[in-house]
Amino acid sequence: MIDVLQGEVPIDDESHIITVRKSVREVATRLGFGLTDVTRIITAASELARNIYTYAGTGVMRWRVLDTGAFVGIELTFEDRGPGIANLGQVMQEGYSTSGGLGMGLPGSKRLMDEFEIQSTAGLGTTVTVKKWKKK
Amino acid sequence: MADERLTVIKVRDVLMVTMPPDPDDPTVSALQDMVLKSIEKFNPKGLILDISAVDTLDSFFARTIVETAKMVELMGGVTVIAGMRPSVAITATQLGFTFGRVHTVLDVDRGLSLLTEERRR
Repeated sequence: MIDVLQGEVPIDDESHIITVRKSVREVATRLGFGLTDVTRIITAASELARNIYTYAGTGVMRWRVLDTGAFVGIELTFEDRGPGIANLGQVMQEGYSTSGGLGMGLPGSKRLMDEFEIQSTAGLGTTVTVKKWKKK
Repeated sequence: MADERLTVIKVRDVLMVTMPPDPDDPTVSALQDMVLKSIEKFNPKGLILDISAVDTLDSFFARTIVETAKMVELMGGVTVIAGMRPSVAITATQLGFTFGRVHTVLDVDRGLSLLTEERRR
């Protein structure tokens, strides 16, 4: 059996947030993550996909299976060419929101995952990469 | 379509809505609309939102629940969230979400008891 080790889901419609959640659920479950971790990963993915839909309109989520030998992991990259974030420091603070939301999307997703990386340039777009690891 | 997955039922003097496992945004938005219209129509003591089947509760869904509860309160009703799964409770807490003054109970049965007692005071 040949396992698919990477894939991508375009995000350019509200309904694609569900598609992202479904793909992530499938991969995370296949990797053997427990129910709580699967829920954490899906919820973080949902927040990050929604950010793309809300702020950039369109973008893509790429997923990749990671394997270090002792650990297996899931990597999710959310990329858009939207307006970018001029004030990254502020955005990572709890409760900061420009959309009338709760402002927990980015800091919350960071807490739900093991690794979190954000790169953003005003006018060029934003890329968020998150990872979750599991001992084999 | 979204609305087909949601049904509001009236049990005695309480409205009950059961959410599907992985509700999309239109379903979540439809929830608020359906609940408020049903409150107006049936004038119940309160609303039980059964989320025992829900396996993903993101901030959009959570925010809609809290907003709806506030609206129900303004209309004179009480909202009770019933049956949150352990994995969802853990995730919601780590995400930083608080349900404010919304009542939460283990299951629908306890929700019914709570709403009945609530009105005796």
